[in-house]
Amino acid sequence: MYTILVYDTATERNAAVLRTCRKYLRHQQRSVFEGELSTAQMHRLRTELEQRIDRAYDHILVYTFPPGTDPRRQSWGRPDDQPHDIL
Amino acid sequence: MPATSRTYWLTTPCRLRRQDDSIRVERDGHPPTFLPIEDVRDIIAAAEVDLNTSMMSLLNKHRIQIHILGYYGDYAGSFLPAETAVSGTVALNQMRLASDDEHALPIARALIDNAAFNIRWVIDRKLLTRSYGVLKESIAEATTREQLMAAEGNFRRNAWEALDTKLPDWLQLDGRSRRPPRNAGNAVISYINGILYARILSALRLTPLHTGIAFLHATMQRHRHSLALDLAEVFKPLFAERILIRLANRRQLKPQHFDINTNQAMLSESGRKLIVQTVRDDLAETVKHRTLGRNVSYDELIYLDALALTRTCLEGSTYAPFRVWW
Repeated sequence: MYTILVYDTATERNAAVLRTCRKYLRHQQRSVFEGELSTAQMHRLRTELEQRIDRAYDHILVYTFPPGTDPRRQSWGRPDDQPHDIL
Repeated sequence: MPATSRTYWLTTPCRLRRQDDSIRVERDGHPPTFLPIEDVRDIIAAAEVDLNTSMMSLLNKHRIQIHILGYYGDYAGSFLPAETAVSGTVALNQMRLASDDEHALPIARALIDNAAFNIRWVIDRKLLTRSYGVLKESIAEATTREQLMAAEGNFRRNAWEALDTKLPDWLQLDGRSRRPPRNAGNAVISYINGILYARILSALRLTPLHTGIAFLHATMQRHRHSLALDLAEVFKPLFAERILIRLANRRQLKPQHFDINTNQAMLSESGRKLIVQTVRDDLAETVKHRTLGRNVSYDELIYLDALALTRTCLEGSTYAPFRVWW
């Protein structure tokens, strides 16, 4: 399922959260990630992240879209339309 | 095939490095790109690529294959994870079938027949009707693999000629040539075939089949993955010839997509990008499958064929290779 993840964590934990997310999703900007995840991958990502954050202070938001659908996306300002799987 | 992970394509020279248990791609003139390791199914490197040991152990851990295409777009080799799905029972049965002409010849015959059918569908039904008839007769009479291959060669030659009538002068093949391809048309065909071979190999590695034991091509010849060559026969026309004709008709292919020297031609960087993008989009294209009753992508068709072959080796069901039905 298509997933958008946004995190808001304390500065000292940012790097660890970023590194973890990078294994699963594409880094869109600052604290925003998106990409395709299976249910199993989602569970693994959640477990990994929960070990790294302070659950009393940090907050992570995850939006998912029903399988087979992609969110309609607009980007304003400097565009980022490169296909990400062809380098 | 897991639907959530995808194939990554490298068309510019790059260096792959391991960072934080994921992949960092470094390219000249670009900031480093990070690939989510969980999202990678396999990598097709169509340009110069630099790998190191820690990268390879990471790929191995996540069972990611990397296929490398050479300078002219021909298949140069792969890094395959140590763990394979090959099963002894299936491999032994496969070997039994492959070494016994009584079982191998019908499979080889079906491969050639359906490959020719697909070529004819892609190029021109009318122009190739006669050659296809001749081919059907000669494969029915053939009693060895060599005779089958020869019949296929004759048909292919006619098909190349028919293909030339569909192409503008500068893209005409003028006979098939490889390593190096002699002209622009041949460069495109070689390139797409190389990519397809890699894709088929990826699909075969997911099945318990042994990639070295083939039914049409000589088994383990020069240690190539002969079985991938077998399957490629039926899928090549759907991609190589079809994409060449389409890109030529739409005038999408331009001389700047090639580096042409006397007697040899290859795709330039922009050309490689165009072809890779087209192949990638085509692999995702879907058709309604008649027995499954749902839409399947061309990519999945390859995997389904590999599974059908597995079933043949395991249960002795008749293998009907992919034949265009739409």
